[in-house]
Amino acid sequence: MTAAPAPRPARSFRRALGWTHDQAKPGRPVLVLHDVTKQYPNGKLALRDVDLVVPEGDFVFLVGPSGAGKSTLIKLLIRDEVSTRGEVVLDGQDVARLGRRQVPKMRRKIGIIFQDFKLLPSKTVFENVAFALEVTGTPRRKIRPAVDRVIALVGLSAQSRQTPNQLSGGEQQRTAIARALVHDPRLIIADEPTGNLDPLISWEILQLLLRINELGVTVMMATHNAEVVTALRKRVVALEEGRIIRDEVGGAYHRED
Amino acid sequence: MLFSLTRAWQGFWRNAVMSLAATATMVLMLLLLSGFWIIQTGLLAALQFTEQKVEVVAFLQPNATDNQVSELQTRLKAMPQVASVVYVSRDEALARFRASMAAQGREDLTRFLSTNPLYASLEVKLVDPSQVPVVSDALRNDPSIRNIINIEDLAARVLTVTNLLRTAGTVVLVIVGVIALFIIINTIRLAVLARAEEIEVMRLVGASDAFIRWPFVFEGAFVGFLGSILTLAILLAVADPLSAFMADFFRVLPLQFGSLTRDLVALVMGAGVGLGILGSWLSVRTYLIR
Repeated sequence: MTAAPAPRPARSFRRALGWTHDQAKPGRPVLVLHDVTKQYPNGKLALRDVDLVVPEGDFVFLVGPSGAGKSTLIKLLIRDEVSTRGEVVLDGQDVARLGRRQVPKMRRKIGIIFQDFKLLPSKTVFENVAFALEVTGTPRRKIRPAVDRVIALVGLSAQSRQTPNQLSGGEQQRTAIARALVHDPRLIIADEPTGNLDPLISWEILQLLLRINELGVTVMMATHNAEVVTALRKRVVALEEGRIIRDEVGGAYHRED
Repeated sequence: MLFSLTRAWQGFWRNAVMSLAATATMVLMLLLLSGFWIIQTGLLAALQFTEQKVEVVAFLQPNATDNQVSELQTRLKAMPQVASVVYVSRDEALARFRASMAAQGREDLTRFLSTNPLYASLEVKLVDPSQVPVVSDALRNDPSIRNIINIEDLAARVLTVTNLLRTAGTVVLVIVGVIALFIIINTIRLAVLARAEEIEVMRLVGASDAFIRWPFVFEGAFVGFLGSILTLAILLAVADPLSAFMADFFRVLPLQFGSLTRDLVALVMGAGVGLGILGSWLSVRTYLIR
């Protein structure tokens, strides 16, 4: 289980974005799952003995049929659920041992992107992105430049005063990516980010995620999009019935023998 | 803190329909509650008035001396159960009888009598109508007493009825209060539910529980405050014509409306703001505990 050699982070770009935390150190694990088992109260075993290490700067596709445990895995990472057994360690912290007050702080290390975008319809693009900083109590004078920069990065400067329902699906997803990115996360989790988008727009979103990965941000993307996974030859982790059945660098969507 | 207040204010107006619906429900429920409260207060005053009517009347022997009578009066006044003692002379008794006959439109037959057939009496008002037997017993063996009107039965019956009404009034008030409580909490719950998405996004981007909770709590308090103000305004508007009507209707009852107003403001404000806060606190809590 080795990671693809992480691309060199574009240092000047990171600085331009105003990111202050330590320069990404390729190879240091951002996420470690050890022997993780999750059984829901109704008895369903969603994950069984999952072991996974994601080094800083990695780009991981999480694939598998519906019900294989992808969503459960993501819920464990954002601590929407707690594992029945085993450890989930994010950026050196055991997620299960966090107190209630620390959970929000842990979540700020993660940027999350969903299939249905989860934007607030009453807020503009700018306000949606700024929201992620407001909740952390970032001073207002720091919010504006940071938000303007990520909105420029995802290419939505012209639309920043529009509300989500005035935008196309691709633009909405780019807004969601900007929001996931603005607070300088260690890990971006994308849950079926292209599920609602047509193939061309899906490729645009993928390219944006790859670019963000090149900036040094670790990306984990759950997807059913076989074409994209096979074409990009990134690390592929395949889940089936709650187990990791394949973990290969440069893999395709389906098993190749 | 200031930020939370601003966001509560924004939240209220961004979901104006929902917030105003919650406020309207709050107003209706508070009106219902205060309506029953007013009725209950009136009922209690009326019952107290009725109970004050219960008195022990002791007729005096015609040969009782003034000394004996005043001594008896002093003794009665010294009893803790006695509120007041009024001496009604024979002439007064006759005058009263004539007045009551005239009021009923009947012919006054006493004018055919050469002498006054009535006895002088002591009218003893009690602090508590349940003490009738004690006072009657104290009077019964006094030599200057001719007889005592036996009102023990009547007193007991009045007490049964008044106590029943008191309990019934309180029960109805409590039931209405509980209904108002549930409806208000549920309405606020709906208003919060309409923004479940916003709460979810807040959680996902790492908002602390307090950051999520306070704007909603302030918003609930604001809905409650606005609802209370509107309710009090409506009550104030109808108070004058209503109390004129009431005064007309209950002319005999010396009702005290001064403390009622104060209690009512406290009740409406307390219930409104309290339920607003409680409702939003509970509703947001369901999203935070996971």
